[in-house]
Amino acid sequence: MSKAVVNAPAEKKKSMFSKSGNQKLIVLLVVIFLFIFFSIFSENFRRYTTVLSIMDYSYYIALMAIGVTFPLITGGVDLSIGTGLICYSLAGGYLVVHCGWPTWAGMLVSVLFGVLIGLLNGALVSIMSLPPFLATLCTCMITRGLGSICAKSFGISWPTTGSEGSWFRDIFKITIGDTKYPLGLLWVLLLVMFMAFVLNHTKIGRYTIAIGSNKEATILSGINVKFYHIMAYVISGFFAGLASIAYSAVFSTVQPGTGAGFELEAIGGAIIGGVSASGGAGSVGGSLLGVFVICLLKTGLPYIGLQANWQQIITGMVLIGAVMVDILKKKRAAAV
Amino acid sequence: MEKIKQNPIVKKIGINRIVLCGVLVLMYAIFSMLSDKFVGVQRIMSALNYAYFLGFLSLGVTFVIATGGIDFSIGPVMFCSALISGYCLTSYGVPLAASLLISVLVGFLFGVFNGYFVAYWTVPPFIISMASMNIAKGLASVFTKTQSVSWPQSADANGWYRSFVKAGNFPVGLVILLVFAVICSIVLNQTKAGRYILSLGSNKEAVRLSGVNVKKWEMLAYIICGILVGIAAIFYVAAYTTVQPGYGDTYNNEAIAGCVMGGTSMAGGLASISGTIIGVFIIALLQEGILALGFSKDYQLIITGIIVIVAVYADVVTRRRKN
Amino acid sequence: MGDVILTMKDIDKSFPGVHALDHVNFEVKRGEVHALMGENGAGKSTLMKVLTGIYTKDSGSITFEGKEVEFHNTREAQDAGIVIVHQELNMLGHLTVAQNIFIGREFKKGIRIDDKKMNEEAAKLFEKLHIDIDPAETMSNLTVGKQQMCEIAKAISHEAKVIIFDEPSAALTEAEIEELFKIIRDLRQQQLGIVYISHRMDEIKVITDRVTVMRDGGYVGTLITDECTKDDIINMMVGRVIYEDPKTESAVPKDAPVVLKVEHLNAGKMVQDVSFELRKGEILGFSGLMGAGRTETARAIFGADPKTSGDIYIDGKKVEINNPQDAVKCGIGYLSEDRKRFGIVVQKSVAENSTMASMENFVKGLFINKSKENKVAQEYVDSLATKTPGVDQLVVNLSGGNQQKVVIAKWLIRNCDILIFDEPTRGIDVGAKNEIYKLMNRLAEEGKSIIMISSEMTEILRMSDRIIVMCEGRKTGEIDISEASQEIIMNMATREI
Repeated sequence: MSKAVVNAPAEKKKSMFSKSGNQKLIVLLVVIFLFIFFSIFSENFRRYTTVLSIMDYSYYIALMAIGVTFPLITGGVDLSIGTGLICYSLAGGYLVVHCGWPTWAGMLVSVLFGVLIGLLNGALVSIMSLPPFLATLCTCMITRGLGSICAKSFGISWPTTGSEGSWFRDIFKITIGDTKYPLGLLWVLLLVMFMAFVLNHTKIGRYTIAIGSNKEATILSGINVKFYHIMAYVISGFFAGLASIAYSAVFSTVQPGTGAGFELEAIGGAIIGGVSASGGAGSVGGSLLGVFVICLLKTGLPYIGLQANWQQIITGMVLIGAVMVDILKKKRAAAV
Repeated sequence: MEKIKQNPIVKKIGINRIVLCGVLVLMYAIFSMLSDKFVGVQRIMSALNYAYFLGFLSLGVTFVIATGGIDFSIGPVMFCSALISGYCLTSYGVPLAASLLISVLVGFLFGVFNGYFVAYWTVPPFIISMASMNIAKGLASVFTKTQSVSWPQSADANGWYRSFVKAGNFPVGLVILLVFAVICSIVLNQTKAGRYILSLGSNKEAVRLSGVNVKKWEMLAYIICGILVGIAAIFYVAAYTTVQPGYGDTYNNEAIAGCVMGGTSMAGGLASISGTIIGVFIIALLQEGILALGFSKDYQLIITGIIVIVAVYADVVTRRRKN
Repeated sequence: MGDVILTMKDIDKSFPGVHALDHVNFEVKRGEVHALMGENGAGKSTLMKVLTGIYTKDSGSITFEGKEVEFHNTREAQDAGIVIVHQELNMLGHLTVAQNIFIGREFKKGIRIDDKKMNEEAAKLFEKLHIDIDPAETMSNLTVGKQQMCEIAKAISHEAKVIIFDEPSAALTEAEIEELFKIIRDLRQQQLGIVYISHRMDEIKVITDRVTVMRDGGYVGTLITDECTKDDIINMMVGRVIYEDPKTESAVPKDAPVVLKVEHLNAGKMVQDVSFELRKGEILGFSGLMGAGRTETARAIFGADPKTSGDIYIDGKKVEINNPQDAVKCGIGYLSEDRKRFGIVVQKSVAENSTMASMENFVKGLFINKSKENKVAQEYVDSLATKTPGVDQLVVNLSGGNQQKVVIAKWLIRNCDILIFDEPTRGIDVGAKNEIYKLMNRLAEEGKSIIMISSEMTEILRMSDRIIVMCEGRKTGEIDISEASQEIIMNMATREI
């Protein structure tokens, strides 16, 4: 037996290197680098208001990214989160603005709507065995249509600051004295910590990873794979619902027919942050860092004189780059 | 039922396609009954206008799905093609013929881009689709400085391209689309490229171990798709003339819907061009019918979404039963 | 040995086209190691899958601890106390060892999974089994042998009453096998019933108390290990004269030209410094245990996997093979052990599969010449006696033996002179096996050169002109058929390096 033990320490060292911690550190360095880069090239970028606006842009993407990390880890994807977000916001907002519902009820409807669509996605993928990208592409279109129908094709304006029922805006940006503070960051960080706990220390998270790692073996272990597979999409839908609240609070006005492309920013962020496009590996904290890379690009590019639309192109490129890194890493691991 | 299935003529045409044709006729009948506005050449021409560009998109994506992949960047890429070539035409004074070529070229380049990463880098097709969808939108917006582009009207000096769609009241577009469908069908079923595309969709590793350069053929499927998307752009502007940057993703689902309804399997290896064409007509008629009944485009999105889900689920069930 | 804990009686199971189990009887006593033996495809694994609820039986009864039972999935069987250590590993590479062992029944502290306790419990388990593995290590970082040990630990942790080992030693080194036996003796001591599935005669004699032999899905008989000889068991397993008819001498003339020469081939862990020569008209057998690196060697030669270093010469000329295309151009054809995954395109017709590797010859202008394609495919259907209603039949509807013939046709149409058969008769009915053997002999007589990888000793001894033995990625022996015997080959295949 002694023979079989010899390699153990060496193996361990190697694994420490390839662990996601390494990638998280790199992504963190990229975030810092981007911030410094834009700060050097643009005086306006260095202002506190810019930081605030980066934060504003980051909340809804970050929340979506936290949620979509779960389907991604199962080896699937959720493309419905972007248009879904708009749909949930429109539905909730319609009730608040046109039906006189209290703000909290509207917010609750947004979240519940998200959970419902998550449930639908989960059922399509898990019970009906549809390819995840296709099932969620369909729900992406369906939520787009539904959102528009909910709002009768008009834009919805959630209560703006100062008007009645606008307290929910303070959840994300609170004004104390003359200064505004990005309070949303705190909630996002707390949620990241909570979901990291869920991913690493609860059954839901454990089985999410197991499904992405080897679905057959997970079924053979006697686990109710269908249920946990659905749960991954429900989590994604739930966080898309939360993201819709962040979106309503930050931007107030929501237009039907928008939202396509948000999912790329969230999924891109997750993959940049180390979630494997083929499933099994990933971390919630990494996804958050990845989102900051994308948000910095999005807000930073106009400051150095590039059109905002360049961000779409660059995000697409960065996404492909991140997946290529993942593929190369796997190739190297297989060769060892 | 079994007897009907065994009938040689039915077998030749395929029970699926007969049912689809039935659906098409039935839909027309129902829409005509529900709305008196629906009857008449005007509506049919309008539905056909929609069917042309959608048909080319669907034909293109059929090749990609045949390899077992997916491309849902086709809608935005079509818009990108139409915008870039249109901007060249209207703002840089590029001749019309050259602009049309540029349109096809842009589609081709996106096909090369998608195909290269999928085939040579094994990047999952849905990731590439997401990426190029956004790249296409971004590129079009940057290129046109976020302005919409209006192609020339029929009466303008450069308006002859619109006769691709119709000359007088003759549906030229239909003829061109059907000719392309026949070509696609021949490519898919009668040539080496088609044989390899279908085979690798069914079992890529077995084809690779037969000494076939699977990467090349897989990439080719995406390139064919790209070229057809470029052509779709021409038919889009010929029918509607105006294109806005930032849009186009709703057509992805409709093109895929036409394809999967026609009997092309999402798992790859099985594709039917004639099925795709009938599927496209159903979608086009549906769109026209919904508008005629006074509903908004939103209902169309939802119905198309459900159609794709049902069609793909039917495919999943059939495959499960076979195993 | 105690009382009977498990009885399977008259078990019958059919799959479309195959009668997999034909009224099989089997029983296990407490404190007994009961070997289940038989050739590949004899039905051992199927029987165990029926027992653990992966397959449902068509008829027959299972009695466990005096009660008739029927399990619908592995979980139910586990809960009752019957666990299986699978031949193919069922691990979750991204999780740790402890997380794998306790998957589906994690220890919890509130809603939190108690990983610390799981690590401790796993460590205790390993200690009891005298295995030295870090429970917190990620599964994919372990060697195959250690992963197997984890599977065993997982099975034991279920408080099992009956443990089934499905060829557990196939991927283990000698030292690890010793360790495994120690564990099994321990378990026997604790009055567990143990089913031990294996091919290896020597192990059976060492570790088991009784032997039940199966053949072609049927029950042959049960013997007490101490009271029988190896030959008794072999006779029961084989039961046919043809199997005991090894080649006595090579049919290849000593001066036959070398068509393929491989020098110092390296590819990953599984192929280390492999060199050999293949002569014209020769059938070169590759023997060894599962995981010895034979398939990997074949794939590296064929360019299916990248090689690290090494030279390949065809007809004395050095060639560069970097992918299957290069290999096919050099006239090498590869017939995989897993036909469905690597050999055929099931949804395509016989004709389309036959011409897959040689489309160039069937293209006229831009188009495929289908009539020529059908004509040639038909010729090969006739000459190989492939049973198919027609060349337009989808290969998915053909039996395993006939699918294999379609793959052979593919390479013959491509005019390949070197054919690599990887487990040529795996999953093929006994009758059809013989036909494949005849075909291979005919091809060799016609001047084709064949590399045959096989895990069946009888196949190796019957077919080969010369035998190369591999172990743990290295070539450990090369012998002429006239000197070969089962014992010599086994010895080489398990040699410590």
